[in-house]
Amino acid sequence: MPIPTLAEKLQWLKPVPATPYERECAAKLAQGDYEIGTQITNDILDEAMEIFVRSSRSYFGVSGDSMVAIFTAGGDLINASCGTYLHAIIQPIVIKFIQKYYAENPGIFDGDVWYTNDALYGGIHNPDQVALMPVFHKSKLLAWASAALHTTETGAIEPGGMPVSAKSRFEEGLNMPPIKIGENFKIRNDFLEMYSVYGLRAPAMFISDLRARCTTADRVRVRLIELVEKRGEDYLIGLLRKMQDTAEIGARKKIKDLPDGKFRTVVFNDAIGYTPALVRSCYLTLIKDGGRLIFNFEGTSPENPSSYNVHTQAVVGHIANFMYEYIFHDLPICSSTFSAIDFEFPEGIILNPDKMAATSCCVYIGMQCRCATHNSFAKMSFSSASLWRQVAAAPGSQHSAQICAGLSQWKLAVSDVLSFSLNTQGQGGRASTDGMDSYGFAWCAFGRAPDSEQVESELPLSVMLSQHWRDSCGHGIHRGGSGAVQEWMIHKVPNLVSLCMGNGSKVPLGQPLFGGYASAPIPGITVKKNDLLKQMKEGNSELTMDLREMIEKPTVHGDWKYELVARTPKVFEEGDLLFGFSGGGPGYGDPLERDPETVMEDLKNHIISDWTAMNIYKIAYGAERRKVDFEKTMQQRQEERRSRLARGKSYDEFEKEWNKKSPPKEALLYYGTWPDAKSTGPVFRP
Amino acid sequence: MPAEQQDRIRVTEYLDLDVEKEKWFCNRCGHELGGARENYKRGCLLYDRDPREIHPPLVSGEFNFSPDPLWVRIVEFYCPSCGVQMETEYLPPGHPLTWDIEIDLDRLKQRLKTGEYKIRKQRLEVSE
Repeated sequence: MPIPTLAEKLQWLKPVPATPYERECAAKLAQGDYEIGTQITNDILDEAMEIFVRSSRSYFGVSGDSMVAIFTAGGDLINASCGTYLHAIIQPIVIKFIQKYYAENPGIFDGDVWYTNDALYGGIHNPDQVALMPVFHKSKLLAWASAALHTTETGAIEPGGMPVSAKSRFEEGLNMPPIKIGENFKIRNDFLEMYSVYGLRAPAMFISDLRARCTTADRVRVRLIELVEKRGEDYLIGLLRKMQDTAEIGARKKIKDLPDGKFRTVVFNDAIGYTPALVRSCYLTLIKDGGRLIFNFEGTSPENPSSYNVHTQAVVGHIANFMYEYIFHDLPICSSTFSAIDFEFPEGIILNPDKMAATSCCVYIGMQCRCATHNSFAKMSFSSASLWRQVAAAPGSQHSAQICAGLSQWKLAVSDVLSFSLNTQGQGGRASTDGMDSYGFAWCAFGRAPDSEQVESELPLSVMLSQHWRDSCGHGIHRGGSGAVQEWMIHKVPNLVSLCMGNGSKVPLGQPLFGGYASAPIPGITVKKNDLLKQMKEGNSELTMDLREMIEKPTVHGDWKYELVARTPKVFEEGDLLFGFSGGGPGYGDPLERDPETVMEDLKNHIISDWTAMNIYKIAYGAERRKVDFEKTMQQRQEERRSRLARGKSYDEFEKEWNKKSPPKEALLYYGTWPDAKSTGPVFRP
Repeated sequence: MPAEQQDRIRVTEYLDLDVEKEKWFCNRCGHELGGARENYKRGCLLYDRDPREIHPPLVSGEFNFSPDPLWVRIVEFYCPSCGVQMETEYLPPGHPLTWDIEIDLDRLKQRLKTGEYKIRKQRLEVSE
């Protein structure tokens, strides 16, 4: 079985060397034609993305958690419309696999539609599915087109596509290596039937999303052929080559300009499946050595028998999200930007598990790799005149992904995620300003929170409130962006099954930067058998729409439950309440240096509480008019600095006491040996 | 800004590097924090902070919007002279402190010497 090895995957991330013909075509291309051609690829991809969003059915599709891309004939990414950058750098693995193993049998022909969702073969996790089409002109392969999207169903042992309790890949439902699903521009009916049975929980969404991928990839193909008909094959080949070369020059210069050294960050995750458990989810040593960047993950916790493992290329995908949002934001989304970047994965860690590992919830661990990258990059690039403004703490990394499955109010089978609480995470505090409130989805910066009325019309829910939740952000000179909360009531159906994926209930995830604080943890909250509807009918004026008031002085009576955010599937009845939280961004810098007037603005905007203004930021102000007493504020802050000097211990003195401590034994079930996180033995999987 | 500080490189919001002296300094008060071939955190004052003091519980019970203090602590690093909070790490109790910044000083000196880098406004500017 030719499952790609780690060495193959890492090799396939690197661009194929240019052929003499490509060089010749690129040399013929005038600068103006190159610039126009680049814009044409942008236009093709943007048009296709519009088609993709409009023809998808799942909420991730509607929210734009997707990517449309153009590749060379050799499989290297040239440009993309995002969506999410997660798939950008890693999709060449799939095309290069097809070319290596399937060129002879079944062969690659004009009109083929190829498809995969298997992370063993180069994807992120199995809800992420991609359709790929070769672009032929007069029997000559010129390029590839793809469309990738996360669909929230895979026919796994739990609804929602990311089975939290899966212990091996065999419990994850559909895991499909690259396969030809269509010929002569038609999807095969025998494949559709096989595929459909994995989507029985939500057939309309499952099939619509597949067709959306295929039609989107085909639109890109059609537009590229139109371009070739107009300008000739040499023009397209030269354009793709030159775009690749230009992107590579830009990326290599950015990397070379950084100072050399080693920059380390360690981050932790607090749940493995439904079990609260500490793991060292990413121990990153980022090495800058001349013109190269090396990501080394030695010291990361071992793999485990859950779906919280990440295949190596999915780690690269998470890092690509950071690189394109911050460092390569002005470069084309192109394989060659990663030419000078290498990855070192020890065997058997949570970021390089066995081929039988479940990885459907890999994104919760993968996101920790992105968080670590933020901090290591910040420490490497803050001294750079050209890059210091791109320094930012990680995005909010506490997640609740609530899945709802059952029959809708229209008697249609549904199984989808309530993506509001994912797509509204706070951005981390930045070197020059605060993080944005609810900036987006940490996996997909352009992802949109879905329209509440659309959610209400398609799912049997009422959206009771949507707001930023106070004190969700990390504090600092530049605070992290606020996270958000949505409250849902089961409505117009007798019952519904719901489960929740996520993490960040016991430990703030993602390290803050340069003396800031991380963002607040999130619990899982449900209220069964409550009297909210009754009180609404009676018009009780004491009811509040403010989350903090709602939980601190509850006016809604019922069975309030505060649990680990990851929760097993349960049946909920009409009127029951669910809450979904997105995490705030971690803070940047010492909170005592934050401008007092800005703290007052945060208070007015309900981003922070009075307690925080007084106790974290040490602001003195009148309770009624909230006017800052600057002199007293300065005194309070000076007093706090004196207290720090009084309570702080020297490094050696601190370590003497600190090294005697450890977390409780039950927290270390999946951690590995304490504290160095070595494997304690083989992982047994069903 | 004192003239000697202008030639220092700003490595973080609060950490300056004097390449010639091979020393770390506090950006806010200029206090020396030790040799730049060592972890600058060795020159700081450290404090083991109960995370509930920063992220207070909003409700009672185990899952309450506040970190579990048995699982995670906030290690705060202060400048021993002016008390600015230079860095924080959220770590399980007893977890080794991270040597986060290990700059290759020899190569940095060489790049400055050859003119590849120049220091302008405390940042490394690349000569074109």
